[in-house]
Parts: sequence; C-alpha cells; structure tokens
Amino acid sequence: MFPTPIARTAPWVQRIYKWLLPVALVLWLLPLIGIAVTSIRPSSDLAAGNYFGWPSGFNFIENYSTVFENSNIGWYILNSFKVTIPTVVGAVGLSCLTGYALAVYKFRSNLIVFFMFVAGNFVPFQILAIPVRNLTLSLGMYNTTTGLVMFHVAFQTGFCTLFMRNFIKGLPFALIESARVEGVSEWKIFWHIVMPLMRPAIAALSVLIFTFIWNDYFWATVMAQSADVRPVTAGMNELKGQWKVAWELIAAASIIAALPPVAMFFLMQKHFIAGLTLGATKG
Amino acid sequence: MATVTLRNARKSFGSVNIIKGVDLDIADGEFCVFVGPSGCGKSTLLRMIAGLEDITSGSLQIGGREMADVEPADRGVAMVFQSYALYPHMTVRENVGFGLKMTGHSKADIEKRTERAASMLQLGPLMDRKPSQLSGGQRQRVAIGRAIVREPDVFLFDEPLSNLDAALRVQMRIEIGKLHNDLKSTMIYVTHDQVEAMTMADKIVVLHGGIIEQVGSPLELYHRPRNMFVAGFIGSPKMNFIPVTVQAARDGNVMLSLPGDGRMTIPMKGDLPAAGTRLTLGCRPEHVAIGKEAAASGALQGTIRVAEYLGSETMFYASLADGTEIAVKGDGLAAQKSGDILPLSLPAAACHLFDAQSNAILNGDLTR
Repeated sequence: MFPTPIARTAPWVQRIYKWLLPVALVLWLLPLIGIAVTSIRPSSDLAAGNYFGWPSGFNFIENYSTVFENSNIGWYILNSFKVTIPTVVGAVGLSCLTGYALAVYKFRSNLIVFFMFVAGNFVPFQILAIPVRNLTLSLGMYNTTTGLVMFHVAFQTGFCTLFMRNFIKGLPFALIESARVEGVSEWKIFWHIVMPLMRPAIAALSVLIFTFIWNDYFWATVMAQSADVRPVTAGMNELKGQWKVAWELIAAASIIAALPPVAMFFLMQKHFIAGLTLGATKG
Repeated sequence: MATVTLRNARKSFGSVNIIKGVDLDIADGEFCVFVGPSGCGKSTLLRMIAGLEDITSGSLQIGGREMADVEPADRGVAMVFQSYALYPHMTVRENVGFGLKMTGHSKADIEKRTERAASMLQLGPLMDRKPSQLSGGQRQRVAIGRAIVREPDVFLFDEPLSNLDAALRVQMRIEIGKLHNDLKSTMIYVTHDQVEAMTMADKIVVLHGGIIEQVGSPLELYHRPRNMFVAGFIGSPKMNFIPVTVQAARDGNVMLSLPGDGRMTIPMKGDLPAAGTRLTLGCRPEHVAIGKEAAASGALQGTIRVAEYLGSETMFYASLADGTEIAVKGDGLAAQKSGDILPLSLPAAACHLFDAQSNAILNGDLTR
C-alpha cells in the first residue's frame, strides 16, 4: 500500500512522526492560539508588553462580556447572516441553473460562456474595488445589505457555476436522455431528476460559500460604511478604541466572529471535504 | 404497432459523416437487430430513430408519419439504455411510473400499467427498492418495465445486455424474446454480440462504416453473405479466407489452384471468371473437412499451430503453405496436436468465392 501506514514503518520513523506531528500542528495553529490566549488576557498584560508569555490572569468572562457591552457585535453578527444566507441561496441557486445549462445543452457559445464564468475567478478582486464602489453608488446600492448580497452573488456565481457544471457533467447523461424519450419536459427533468442528484453538490457548495462570504472582510469594508450594514468582520473595528487599541477585545470578538463558520465546518465536515474534492474528481 | 422506414438517412457531426445514407424498412412487429463493429454507427442510427440525434438529411417514418422534426416523446418509441439509466433516487415503482406521471396520466392508469409491467417482468417483490439495491439483471428488467408502461409502438434497445455477465445475458435474451412474442411490437435492437443477433432477430442489419452492408434473416446472412465483410463478421470463429487463382473455367465449373499444390473445382452460376483471375475463397471452420477423406483428396495441407480441445469439439488453428491462417472445427475426439500436418479438404458446396478487389460474392449460396 502507498503510502505505507505509519504503524508499519520502522520504530524510529514512528517516534519522529509522533514528535513532529504535534509540533507541526502547534506551529500551524500558533496564530490562532495567540488570538485565543490574547482574548482572555487582562489589558494590563498587553500594556506591560506580555504579548506571548503566560497570561497574568484569566479574564475570559470579563473580556467576552465587554465585547458585547462595548460594541454592537450581536447586531453585526445578524448583519453577517443577512448578507451570507441570501448570498448562499442566490449564488448556489443561480449556479444550479447556469451549471445545468452549460452541462446539458449544446449551443454554439457554450464553451465561451463557460470560460467567461471561469475567467471571472482569475480577476483579482482588489482591482474591482473602485469601479464596483462607483457602480453601487450610482445604482443607489452603496452601503446597503442588498448591494453587498448582489455583488457577492455576482462574484461567487462564477466559481459556483464551474463547480456545478462539472458536477452535472459527471452525472450519467443517459438519465436525461431517458427522461426526454419518456416525454418529460426540460424543466421537470431539471427539477425531478437532476436537482435531487445534485444534493451533495449543493450541500458542499453551500458550506464553502457560507465560509467564503462570512469571512469576507474586503467587500464588507469597501461597500459598507454604517453600522447598520457592516457584517461582523468589518464591524469589530469599532472595538479599536479611540486612544489605544484594545487587542484583547478585538481578539475576543474575532473568536466570536469565527464561531459560525467553524461550527459549520465541524457540523458539515463531510460536505466540506466533498466540496473541496468534488469538482476535482468529477470533471 | 408501427413500421419504421428510413430513406437515405444521413448523419454528420461537423464534417464527419457517421451515417452515410441508410435505406431500411422494418415491418410492423418485426424484431430487427443492428449489428456491426464498434464505430459503425449502429447506436447513432438507433438514436436517430429515437430522436436523440437530429437527422442531417433524409427521411425517417414511423407508422407512416414523417418523424424528422418530431420530439422524441411524440414518436411513440421507448428506449432501453445500455447503462439502464434508472433514476437513482427513485424506487422501482417511481422509476417505472415517472414518465407517465410527468406526462399527466391519471394515478389509476399509472397504477394499472405499472402493475401489468411488474407482473410481466416479475418485478413484484422489488417495487419498493432503489436501483442501488438491485442486481444488474434486475436493473435491466426495471429499465425494460419503464419502456413497457409507455405502451410504445416501437421499442429501441441500445446494447441492453452488454453490462451483464454471460449467464444472465442468455437468460435476459430469452426474456426479451418472450416479451417480443407477448407484445408483438416492433423492436429495434443494437448489439455487437452476433450470438444475440443470430438468436433474437427476425431481421439483421449489418452496418459497417455508416452504411448497410446487408439486410436479411440470420441464416440468410450466415449462408448467403453478400460480401467478405458480412461473411467475416457473422459467424464465430470467423470464416476462413484463402487466396486462390482461377486455372480454368468452363461448363459452369471453375477450377481453382489452392495454396500449396492443391486444386479444386467449384460449380458456379452466371459469368465465369477468366483464367488467371485471383479470387478469395471463403469456407467456414465447421465446413472444412479433416481426416481420411481429406487425406484422399490431397487438396490442402495445414500445419497445426494451436489446438483447443473443448470436449464437444476441437478447434485447430493451422497455417497453409503460403502462410494463410485457417481455423478448422474438428470433432471432440480428434487427437491431432500442435505441430502435426493436418490434411484438409474444402467441400465445394460449402465454399464462397469473393472477388479479390470488390469483395462482391461470385459464388456460394448454401441455402440453395
């Protein structure tokens, strides 16, 4: 078997493996551990320069409750949901349709349209910041949840279409042909045959897009200014304070903000992994 | 019930011509098998009849109605796919009734037709299972059931048995034959397996390179092949082809010189070839005689390269004096072995003659 299972390798390899694995894990998680520890430090530690040492006290409850008292983090989290959920529904829903059309129908510009969806993914979104801001302004969607959702949907649909198209391409085409010979209309084929078979892809993609959008900081800052609209990633800026940066509070807020996608990951782990590999193997 | 008629039907994908003008009449209630090597266009032709591929030019009529621009669903055909194409998320019952449900049939009607198909195919105990819980043969039966409930005029089968193991294939072959007897519908069946073609067909259509090589009943094709392609394609092991030269031809007989020093005379109708013409002689392995009579005739000798003792029969693969490979079917008790010299003789009545250039048959009609 390749690779050889660790249990069957030489003892010294096993020993090195057992030592190196935790070390690598800790190294990998170091930034996260740093944030987690900072989030329970008293602010005096940070003032005294004790950034990485053992905390002088554990202010878990104090720090985390201050986050909720000093900022509108609850509101921001709600904002995040208001942006993320419609985006997931919109992008995944749209890409089911585009993916189906591109995978099933042969039309002249099929490949060109498909490549345009794919090519959109290669445009660095930073260069779009100013045009998009201007466009949203003139459309009257600047600083609105709708505007954020619309642009997230627009940007995510490219990737989603690639994903869905490849998934549907992997389904046996005879199913569709068989239904056609049976006289089932194209919409009914889509709804009754293809959609049920796309369930794993829809689940996987929803989890991925949820994480992408929830963690978005860039568009949240470019397209939203007011506290009414800002999602949690941008909103926690409020905790910075006027005279000094309250790192312990920002760290605590970060942990809170990260909880929904992390929870999503652990709850839907199976779908998440499927999402990362589905497009690759079904192409 | 319907006839199927193709007139100069053509299909091309871009500049590639797949079907190069097919004329075919399939009678009402006939079991017609399309057979040919891979890439000959047999599946494409079936899909053109089903409406899954457009017809580039020519005409297709089903039951006397022109079908070129009719949707698949309105052609009165039902198709069974090689991959079964069962909807994996539906039970057998839902699979069978799905098409009817989607096209607005009443619940009672769907129920009635489904039950009828189920009893015909012994699907009763499987009705509430998902396709993944069925064996290959059961899946194929469900796929056939799904076709039956539509009560089509024409059944189309696209290599339906090629995913099954040998034993199941024989059983399903018999079941499809029975089904044809019960339903008496027109059936068109695509296969590359000539045993299926020979056993099931009323009419076999041999396709090669997008054209029809020959149409006929199984025995017609076997005993009266129109050219070397059909002669070589139908029958297993395939017909032996031996290069020969005409020595003399008169009074309805041609005398041929065989590889080595042998000669033989074959009676022949019509215009006789001139002396010196090079021809190809075809003789099936089971018609080649070995043993004493063969030794007496002294016509031909082969060196055995491989001998297969199958118990009921023995297959010898031998090479002639000029290196031509020849297969010979001997009886199960034949004792010759690899390396032996095998005296052979070709019964004149079982020989076909092919023109070396045009491949057209010059002589040989074993059904006379």
